[in-house]
Amino acid sequence: MADVLLKNISKSYDGKTNVVESVSFEFKDKEFVVLVGPSGCGKSTVLRMIAGLEEITGGDLLIDNKRVNDLLPKDRDIAMVFQNYALYPHMTVYQNMAFGLKLKKMSRKEIDQRVQKAAAILDIIPLLDRRPKAMSGGQRQRVAIGRAIVRNPKVFLFDEPLSNLDAKLRVQMRVELQKLHKKLQATIIYVTHDQTEAMTLGDRIIVLKDGIVMQIGSPMKLYNQPDNIFVAGFIGSPPVNFIPGMIKRTDTLNFIHESTGFNVNLSDIPNKAIAGFEDKKVILGIRPEDIYSKPQINSGPFAKLSTTCIAIEQMGSEMLVYAALDEKQIIARFSPESKIEMGKRVDLFVDTGRVHFFDPETESVIR
Amino acid sequence: MSIIKKTILYILLTVAALSFIYPFFWMIMASLSPEAEIGSLVFFPSRITFSNYISMVSKIPIGRALFNSLLVSGINTGVALVFSSMVGYALSRMEFKGRNLIFMIIIFTMTLPFQITLIPNYIIMVKLRWVDSYLSLTVPFLINTFGILMFRQAFKGLPQALIDAARIDGCGDLRIIFTILWPNIKPTIVTVGILAFMGSWNEVLWPLIVIRDEQLMTLPQLVTLFAVGGRAESQIGVKLASAVFLATPIIVAYLFFQKHFIQSMASTGLKE
Repeated sequence: MADVLLKNISKSYDGKTNVVESVSFEFKDKEFVVLVGPSGCGKSTVLRMIAGLEEITGGDLLIDNKRVNDLLPKDRDIAMVFQNYALYPHMTVYQNMAFGLKLKKMSRKEIDQRVQKAAAILDIIPLLDRRPKAMSGGQRQRVAIGRAIVRNPKVFLFDEPLSNLDAKLRVQMRVELQKLHKKLQATIIYVTHDQTEAMTLGDRIIVLKDGIVMQIGSPMKLYNQPDNIFVAGFIGSPPVNFIPGMIKRTDTLNFIHESTGFNVNLSDIPNKAIAGFEDKKVILGIRPEDIYSKPQINSGPFAKLSTTCIAIEQMGSEMLVYAALDEKQIIARFSPESKIEMGKRVDLFVDTGRVHFFDPETESVIR
Repeated sequence: MSIIKKTILYILLTVAALSFIYPFFWMIMASLSPEAEIGSLVFFPSRITFSNYISMVSKIPIGRALFNSLLVSGINTGVALVFSSMVGYALSRMEFKGRNLIFMIIIFTMTLPFQITLIPNYIIMVKLRWVDSYLSLTVPFLINTFGILMFRQAFKGLPQALIDAARIDGCGDLRIIFTILWPNIKPTIVTVGILAFMGSWNEVLWPLIVIRDEQLMTLPQLVTLFAVGGRAESQIGVKLASAVFLATPIIVAYLFFQKHFIQSMASTGLKE
């Protein structure tokens, strides 16, 4: 297993605009790193460049301290699992898994050992004689992972491997992937557009947007300390609520949302940088679960926001309350027993210890 | 469908089929008739005779011509399949400057009738000193524009990930084409193969121009020269015998491949 290092990697198809803009990051040995972002953000391109399926326009790619920019995919010691499985339709499962090893001129005995071992790990021994056509999506995905495992590569690359599976199977495979990572002790680079997959699977997450790295960090760091509006709005479901307003000084420094009169007293907040935004516009960010139906004893202080409830989603374990805020809405996550009625007034208590502030011009966090 | 409608349909189809089969059947029977009986256009001769075939074999080197035709058509078909799929792959899956221009030029050459390029091609053959050699019968047909078009479309219909996976497994482009992609486009291969084989087998004009040595002549060329060239001595039976001999391999091939052929004609352009 190995370290993978990207140094100022960029990619351009037409020589003018970069689809990936000078990204640098390191994947440590045995780490499970998720590259996440909306479609078209360049995450798959990054993965394909690591795999050697796309040429690298600029920068250096190092696997185990060796520059591999100009190596063929087969010489990079990587394995890749594709979204649509990409199994060879004319080969059986066994042949699919053995194909790459055969090309490496490995002995039959060793190939057989490796295939049987991988098949045992993935529980697909009964499928070895079947062709891909005769299998379900979940089974095919297992075989695709098996084909990667038999290569015993330094790095596993996963390109949205769960996107073609139905929701239930996806949850199941997510858990299995975690187990697999533990078992294989492998470096895994995983691309997805699904923030849930990113949160649940990654040791670290890299958020990309328009070919630029927005933030790198552990799932909880991204969740609790987003660097910018994009990450705050992307990670978490439902995402962070954004409330635009002004920083004003009366007796103390306050955040004020004009139309509702929502007022957050900033003197209790440890964020000192916010003082520099006096009389300037800022955006307040607050997670749905940090908004309560009444003040809590153990946290706070709380700022009250009075508005109208426009929709309720009862999830059983929780209740999502949609409240009007100017033309937009904010979402609060209440306990399912909360007495809230649609169309009526609702008081939202925002935990001011949990708010983030963002600069509307740079979209970066103020901290 | 009502029974009446079905009956009418079957009658129409039977008539159509018979009208196609009749001349062919007559040709076979007539070639087996004594020469004197052919003129009366009877269906079943009074006795079956192989004299027409014996006479044909003694008059022209038909065995050698059959060998030549099989050799030439075999080479042309086999090599055209390989080359056309290579070009089709490049045009559908490789990125390079001028790719679309090259493809347009290839399509454009399809619109040129063979007759227009006949003289220039002949001059090239003369300059290369390939007249009266197998080279003139094969080399100009080793690339098949129709095949390129078919392979390009077929390759376009396969997912890119299949190629990516093969690349990671360690395949080069040639192995990708022939071990990964080919098994997944069998209908296209059969279609292109049959059409290339038939085209090469039935070619008369070109061999007539570039081959004069009887030992190198293809079957259709020899049969044509035999039938219209006076060497059959106006014996219809012998001419018909040579025509049967000419048609048989294609019919056998068609019967053998017809399932694939119809299937591929029905499914080309559709991906799973």
